[in-house]
Amino acid sequence: MSYVYTVARLRGMENHILDTAFFSRLMDSAGIDDALKALGETSYSQWISQNGGNFDKAIDSEMLATCEELKTFVPDKELLDIFRLPYDFHNVKVLLKGLFKVRGGESEGRRYDLLSKLGTIDAEELTNAIETEEYGFLPYGLTDLIPQCWQLWDATKNAQAVELLIDHQMFRAMLGVAEGLKMPEIVQWVKSRIDAENLRSAVRLSRMKYDSTKALPFFHDGGNIRADDMARLLNEPQETWSRLLSHTDIAGVLGALQESGDMKAALSDVSKSLDDYLIRVLDGAKYSMDAPANVLLYLLTKEAETRNMRVALVCVAGGLDREFGRRLLSNGR
Amino acid sequence: MEHLGLSLALFGAALAAALAGIGSAIGIGVAGGAAAGVMTEDPNKFGSCLILQALPGTQGIYGLLIAFFVLNKLGLLGGGGAVALTWNQGLQILASCLPIAVVGWYSAIWQGKTSAASIQMISKKPEAMGKAIILPAMVETYAVLALLTSILMLMGVQVG
Repeated sequence: MSYVYTVARLRGMENHILDTAFFSRLMDSAGIDDALKALGETSYSQWISQNGGNFDKAIDSEMLATCEELKTFVPDKELLDIFRLPYDFHNVKVLLKGLFKVRGGESEGRRYDLLSKLGTIDAEELTNAIETEEYGFLPYGLTDLIPQCWQLWDATKNAQAVELLIDHQMFRAMLGVAEGLKMPEIVQWVKSRIDAENLRSAVRLSRMKYDSTKALPFFHDGGNIRADDMARLLNEPQETWSRLLSHTDIAGVLGALQESGDMKAALSDVSKSLDDYLIRVLDGAKYSMDAPANVLLYLLTKEAETRNMRVALVCVAGGLDREFGRRLLSNGR
Repeated sequence: MEHLGLSLALFGAALAAALAGIGSAIGIGVAGGAAAGVMTEDPNKFGSCLILQALPGTQGIYGLLIAFFVLNKLGLLGGGGAVALTWNQGLQILASCLPIAVVGWYSAIWQGKTSAASIQMISKKPEAMGKAIILPAMVETYAVLALLTSILMLMGVQVG
């Protein structure tokens, strides 16, 4: 299937992606009204007026509109599914956690407001399926996963263990979809995504003083670096991680951890560096006129834009420290 | 066997026109796909895209030119009837057609790919139009060399 048309159209669309300098200027706005006015000439303005000034919903609407537009001209829809599939698993977590609370006697357990419309499965259909326990039509192994989650919950009442079970299946499903596409660069990206998630977990667990044996269930299989090798990092001082992972291209991300003495800032820097790393993994596609990976690259760049938009607007609306906000901006474009 | 020479020469003319034409059609198709993608987002780029899309079309014209050259040499264009050819002369004409047939076919496809990349380039940097034309034009060099080779070879074949 030729991607010449698709990639050329994406090149045109890339011209409308807002750069980091724009967000930096946006953060200098005196208040949220000024900031929303500054968005007047961007594609976000229509969603802000449609959502009555609610910028959180406007940002989601922009991302959803992008996915819907791409669906009309991307030859392999599975490429979009790889990007959207984590939102399905997010929705499953939200719905199950809500039902766990309801079963536990909390009448206000359900949080439909946290459901994302970006998933491949319609949020309403997913809600009905989970609440009526009719999982037969659900894709990505959810048919078997949801009953397993209930069993685990009934046995342990441990929401974190359920969440991990869901995450394991999510990465398995992503890898399955990527392998089905027979596009090695996409499979490689999914593996890098698993590595990034494992490294993020390792940084957090290290701060919580976990040791490798107890931490192993937190790591996902299928990445370039084996889950038990990632877990073993926890037995070593953080300063040595970069050297221990020097044979992989993810090691550069750890620089952010070593340069900062401030723990909170270091965690957010690593998180941001990992998001940038996942875009960088696909950078080679930029130089190809028909590489399918450009679709994923565009979506990740757009997602980074929406993330930056959220950071900037939250900073302005909440009167938060602008310098810290600037530090959180991703280098999407 | 008396018409074998003529048949071989005509086969050469057909190859020159057909292979170079097929290459051009594929090349223009690839560049056209890219042009359509860019113009969906910015219809104002039609002029620049059209120039770049047209570039891989020249190989088809070169192939046609050689086909005409052969038909003229065989006396088939004036209505006076074909000249008599030995199988050896026919084979020489067929061989003369091969450079533009093969190089034209292959270079048009690659020029189309380079044009598509250039079209994507001007989508992001419209000011680089000059550079965007030069890149696919480099591929053209080899089609022109093949055309010259075919012409020189044909001129060297003695018929009639």
